Amino acid sequence: MNRVALDRKTLAALADVLIPAADGMPSASEAGAAGEWLDEVLRVRADLEPPLLSLLERARGEPPAGEVERLEREEPEAFEALSTAVAGAYFLNPEVRRLIGYPGQEARPIEPEDPPDYEQDGLLASVVERGPIFRPTPEGRRRAG
Amino acid sequence: MPDPDVLIVGAGPSGAVSAKRLAEDGFKVMVLEQGDWPDYERARSAHPDYELTSGQYWAWDPNVRGGPGDYPIDESDSDIIALMWNGVGGGSVVFAAHWQRNMPSDFCVRTLDGVGDDWPLSYEELEPYYVRVERDWGVSGLANDTAFPPGEGPPMPPVPLAAMGRRVARAHNELGWHWWPAPNAIATRAYGALKPCVQRATCLWGCADGAKASVDRTYWPVNTRNGVELVTRARVRRLLIRADGLVDGVEYLDADGAEHVQHAPVTILCANGIGTPRLLLLSGENGGLANSSGLVGKRLMLHPFGTVTGLFDEQLESWQGVWGQHIHSLEFYETDDERGFVRGAKWGLQPTGGPLSMTRSYPWGAENAIWGEAFHRELRRRLGHSAMWGIIAEDLPEESNLVTLDPDTSDGYGIPGAKVVYTNSENSQRMMAFHQERAKESLLAAGAYDVIVAPFIEATGWHILGTCKMGDEPATSVVDRWGRTHDIPNLYIFDGSTWPTSSGMNPTATIAAMALRCAERLIEERRDQKEAG
Repeated sequence: MNRVALDRKTLAALADVLIPAADGMPSASEAGAAGEWLDEVLRVRADLEPPLLSLLERARGEPPAGEVERLEREEPEAFEALSTAVAGAYFLNPEVRRLIGYPGQEARPIEPEDPPDYEQDGLLASVVERGPIFRPTPEGRRRAG
Repeated sequence: MPDPDVLIVGAGPSGAVSAKRLAEDGFKVMVLEQGDWPDYERARSAHPDYELTSGQYWAWDPNVRGGPGDYPIDESDSDIIALMWNGVGGGSVVFAAHWQRNMPSDFCVRTLDGVGDDWPLSYEELEPYYVRVERDWGVSGLANDTAFPPGEGPPMPPVPLAAMGRRVARAHNELGWHWWPAPNAIATRAYGALKPCVQRATCLWGCADGAKASVDRTYWPVNTRNGVELVTRARVRRLLIRADGLVDGVEYLDADGAEHVQHAPVTILCANGIGTPRLLLLSGENGGLANSSGLVGKRLMLHPFGTVTGLFDEQLESWQGVWGQHIHSLEFYETDDERGFVRGAKWGLQPTGGPLSMTRSYPWGAENAIWGEAFHRELRRRLGHSAMWGIIAEDLPEESNLVTLDPDTSDGYGIPGAKVVYTNSENSQRMMAFHQERAKESLLAAGAYDVIVAPFIEATGWHILGTCKMGDEPATSVVDRWGRTHDIPNLYIFDGSTWPTSSGMNPTATIAAMALRCAERLIEERRDQKEAG
């Protein structure tokens, strides 16, 4: 698949319909979601490239908002590919991650010395106080005598 | 190479547990596994592209994944798609590690509720085996959960409740509803081969941190040291039958397609609720092997699954934690005649994922109104500010829900695929609707300002149960209470196929305990065992 063939101008227009600039956040294209970060997406998700090429070919010259709406309504698989690629690329941008407060899936070891949080404020006390909630069974009754 | 004493098909949880126990008692054990070892180099949880890539190599649907151990499954007539991992470790490689014992009532559904069938054993009989497999697996949790008879608990303390768990626990205390620190097959301390969990919440897509207790990590190194011979990329095509009706091992194909015959005095199937009946149906004439009851492949249960997600003002950092479950609730597990359905469901409180997960239609609703002008506002509402109840509903056994051979597909070696026919019953639908309403109440009581019920989706069939029913009567069951097929005294089934009813629990704990119990019976009865020798 030839990545040069991707119509990035059309992709940027579609991407900005999905993720416009607002609320102090950049649009998809401003964040490189049709550029360098898209390249990174396609490096690890080459399966997205054929549906992207196909939908971009059909979208060329069409009003982007209408095309996104049509894809979502009529071509859910193509829309899934587009939205995955665009949002995936957007969230690869470190500045976007900083702005949304997402550091990635961090290693946060469980501290063995910390007191268990289920013990805080007597959290379990009322559950224990209520007693068993399981239904008695014939075998359970027999063993209980 | 001499023939083994026991041949096991499948290196997942039941195969691994059985092999360990048999090898400990001196049996020479061989295990044939159609897939390969999981490649944890492909677990990307510490990388920025994690959300983009996790569903590729670690995909749960074999039809999507197309891995070396997979075979095609036609689900065009099924409301639920079966999910599995065909490789060393089996389903435990991609399971959520929710370690749920069945409750006592699960073993006597017919007696208590007049539906389904009783199991030919009780909770009390199985309880010592739960305790032992929990030590072997490396399970974390807290003893004396009030939803179960008191007794010994898991060997490690539970995972933290986390901010979301503390919130919901307080709410349940106010509502007077059950909750408990959740049991998970996740190490909270260094434990055997397991490292302590670092709460990356990526358990379902290959735990790169070595903390999730999948049997490729826990049992298989021990099994290998104990002399169990594990053959990977060994695709069993059929069982071999002698003139006297005993099974004489299997015929399998290696990765190159070369045929092999492996003889064995005793054979145990541990190939899951689809793989095991598929193999029996592939092996016998006139309706398949060990099928005088006509029940091989029937009574398939897949556990309808639902989620309810709450949105909170508080920053919960709900992309972190365990996935896994932080707390569970069994408040509505038992039958209540006034609800309009029988049996119940288990709830597990889970994270919701990173930013890309916030944009998906599941669990955020069919409308999923995030794209466009609302994007940044909606992302802020969801990311880190959400918590999700996962609801597992008990489905009742029905002979019309079944696994058959699929004449129209075959794997890469010409072996027919499987076909699944499954209808989500009226009882299951009513049950799910009731539980979703209660789960909404739970999250609203916990302070959620909005709750979202996920639409029903097909791709939730993690638990594949019931297709080779266990029972005392050969006319109405495939295996006896010890997993031995009624028809063939040297052929056993130790996986989840044997469940007479499905419970509403994640099944791995009970599959493992049952495998240990059945393996020990086989050992005890070795002198009287009829063998193909």
